[in-house]
Amino acid sequence: MNIYLQLTELFNKEKLRAIICSRQAVVLHRLAIMSKDGDWILREEEEALNHILKILAAHGAHYRFGAPLDLRWLKGGWSSHLEFQYGNLRVRTDFFTRPPRIAPNVLQNLWKSQEGKHPAFVGVSELAELKKTNREKDYVILGELARKITDIDGQIFYSRSARDLMELKTSHPDAWQEGLKKREILQSATLGLESLEAALDREKRLLIRENEVRLDRYEKASTAWSVCWQKLSKQNNKHNLMDTHANLIAHAEGVLPYEP
Amino acid sequence: MNPDPTTHNTLRRDEFLSEEDLDLKNLTHDELIAWWNEWLLMAQATNDQDQHTYSHGVFRHEPKV
Repeated sequence: MNIYLQLTELFNKEKLRAIICSRQAVVLHRLAIMSKDGDWILREEEEALNHILKILAAHGAHYRFGAPLDLRWLKGGWSSHLEFQYGNLRVRTDFFTRPPRIAPNVLQNLWKSQEGKHPAFVGVSELAELKKTNREKDYVILGELARKITDIDGQIFYSRSARDLMELKTSHPDAWQEGLKKREILQSATLGLESLEAALDREKRLLIRENEVRLDRYEKASTAWSVCWQKLSKQNNKHNLMDTHANLIAHAEGVLPYEP
Repeated sequence: MNPDPTTHNTLRRDEFLSEEDLDLKNLTHDELIAWWNEWLLMAQATNDQDQHTYSHGVFRHEPKV
């Protein structure tokens, strides 16, 4: 068994509460192994968070700097981060309930689609959205993910390969026309392969900047919390996870805004 | 003899991941888990370097304590 699958099984005991996303989902899609850390989309319910916390407490986890695992902050898009030692492995567990760039209806469908699945993990299209980060290496994954998308519209929307796109333009003209309405860079294909390649690079730069701006917003909103954390982290090391959790919430109220 | 450049170009494919990465699809479930666990173990070598950084979520660095 793998620790991330083991945790997911425990998180989802008797009820679906957590869906593996991002880089461990990349492994489950059999594309690459490229991260030590695990992250999950959690169901936005008090019961789910309490259950996850209990599992983590049983593993001897402690909080890293981040938002408390509490609905009020998670609803604002914040993430919670915990860590524990498992044999020779440092296991990092990252959580959120509002994954970036995933529309509410898509998220709702994701929960429905993963009901009864073991392990529950994000599909190719959702993963492709999650990979639109500020890291260059995520666009490599995105490029390969697009090739796993089965519908032509999805391939046209997500492909990072100018050559693949040129082929799609020729082989599926109707879908291409629809794609033009949703993805601006496709217009460059009329000027040739090199223009499309340049447009893809520009698109990536824009997506990277968009994510940077998003993270800047959270960083700015957590400035006071980071100062507070420096004092709290010394206290937190002396308490068990459930006590630390209550202590974090008490201190975060009024310091870390629910919305960034 | 040089290959026909036109034919060559149509056969060429943009590459994103290595063949080794993409070979994951040929592994059985047990082989995938074994390789995944082995990889995680090897990756612990960089724990000191990424001690204060984040891979996911909205935080980038831990504040210095």
